[in-house]
Amino acid sequence: MSITRKTAVVGIGETPTDRLGGKPGEPRKSTAEYLAWAARLAMEDAGLTKKDFDGQGLAAIYTTNHSQPFWPEEVAAILGITPAVSLAGGNGGASSVSLLGHAAAAITAGLCDLVLVIAAAAPFSEHGGHRGATADTRDYEMPFGVMGPNCKISFVMSRYMHESGMTEEHFGKIAVTGRYHASLNPNAYLRKPITIEDYKKSRLISDPIRLLDCVLPANGGKAYIMTSAERAKSMRKPPVYLLGWGECNNASVGPRYRANPLITGITQAGKRAFEMSGVSHKDIRCLNLYDDYIPIVMIQIEDLGFCGRNDKGFFEKTDFTFKGDLPIQTSGGMINCGQPSTTGGMLHVIETVRQIRGEAGARQVPNIKFGISTGVGAVNYGKNFGCTAAAILGNEA
Amino acid sequence: MAETAKEISKPLPEITPVNQPFWDGARAGKLMMQKCADCGTWVFCPRPVCGDCSSATLNWLQLSGKGKIFSFTVIREVVGHALRGFAPDIPYVTAWIDLDEGPRFCSNIIGCPVDKVKIDMDVQVVFEDGGNGVTLPKFKPR
Ligand SMILES: [Zn+2]
Repeated sequence: MSITRKTAVVGIGETPTDRLGGKPGEPRKSTAEYLAWAARLAMEDAGLTKKDFDGQGLAAIYTTNHSQPFWPEEVAAILGITPAVSLAGGNGGASSVSLLGHAAAAITAGLCDLVLVIAAAAPFSEHGGHRGATADTRDYEMPFGVMGPNCKISFVMSRYMHESGMTEEHFGKIAVTGRYHASLNPNAYLRKPITIEDYKKSRLISDPIRLLDCVLPANGGKAYIMTSAERAKSMRKPPVYLLGWGECNNASVGPRYRANPLITGITQAGKRAFEMSGVSHKDIRCLNLYDDYIPIVMIQIEDLGFCGRNDKGFFEKTDFTFKGDLPIQTSGGMINCGQPSTTGGMLHVIETVRQIRGEAGARQVPNIKFGISTGVGAVNYGKNFGCTAAAILGNEA
Repeated sequence: MAETAKEISKPLPEITPVNQPFWDGARAGKLMMQKCADCGTWVFCPRPVCGDCSSATLNWLQLSGKGKIFSFTVIREVVGHALRGFAPDIPYVTAWIDLDEGPRFCSNIIGCPVDKVKIDMDVQVVFEDGGNGVTLPKFKPR
């Protein structure tokens, strides 16, 4: 039993992102408020109400601010929903894309007919959250002053530059493209266009990673709703079908003790998604790739097979803007729209849905039928992402 | 009273039955890692079973402590409350070191100006007191 073309996304909800609460005296909103807000927006978009979700599916994503073990139940209590199927996203930034497949499996198997996938975080407004670390990080990274993902992805970027010869010009082009798209997205947080010179002048955080390589932490909430392809036909908005999906966790290319960090699990997750969908690369008109850092966007383009490894020429000649050869990061990405912890990755699902529906306004990709979204999470010791997922969405079942 | 940088401790590993031989080795000036007795692969970070063949027979062996820098970064900002004890050390270098025997190890490059550190540089382990009875294997150019 395959999940291809059996389900569709029929509702999306995205609260504005903000950084309120970072300074004394600023107004604050709790995670619970962002959750309720995102749920309401997604239900309105789908033409559903809370009561429709009793006896259905609820998928809550763990965030770094809320990692208590009963989090999915706390979310159900906050929303006042009594789900029959409780799914949980524990794959970090990959969770939103992972749950597309998990929710589709639950619906296709007949366990439920609707799934609300939801996440919110308010790192600036709520303090004292528990921030977990893996045993490997606690014992073999933190004692050496490894500053989390900034540091670990710097290792990846530094090696990527060494092997590929990519320079600030290549990374800067991707940063400029993302910000250009953000300037056309009213929901984006950073909207002032930048130049490659601005990128080069932005301060070094962890060489070679600069400020403009990094994702923007924020408060916010996001949600999407899935249902069966059959039921989707009678919903308020045009269905956006899940055509292909793949996940890969704990990937190691090469020996586990010395893996190649420049090839991530997206290679396998993407291959599975393409095979399931039957869609070819040339028909994908929009790539919304998890963007914790600029070089990770580029490595995923390679992983997904849109170009060869270390293909400098491809990155130089391709127009990545929404009207160009291969539109990427059409929302502006989390780097410009904000990343409320692991909630952030849902941006890439929501944006692909918007593009395929034709709701993307000034940044609408023309003639789009198919798009791909990815998610990645957890940076494993000495390698790259632990959790990866890819999903191909389209306007025809 | 505001805490001064000197008083802020750095995070230390949690010594567990699985990783204890590594940390006992470091205190004795030895870099120790596990090697699978059944399939021969190196295993690091320490594990109860081999990730390749599931064997529970993992032998602790001493490595030469020689290796090459696979990649590195210069840390210029503290991120997160738990790591604020590193503020006085900034800028400093963290690196992935590919050891001659095979495994990759994450540590600091010391005894070298930060702007002189390069990928492929040959390095050698040195042992540094990390406080509370913990010895940290670090690396310097050789
Ligand atoms: Zn083995």
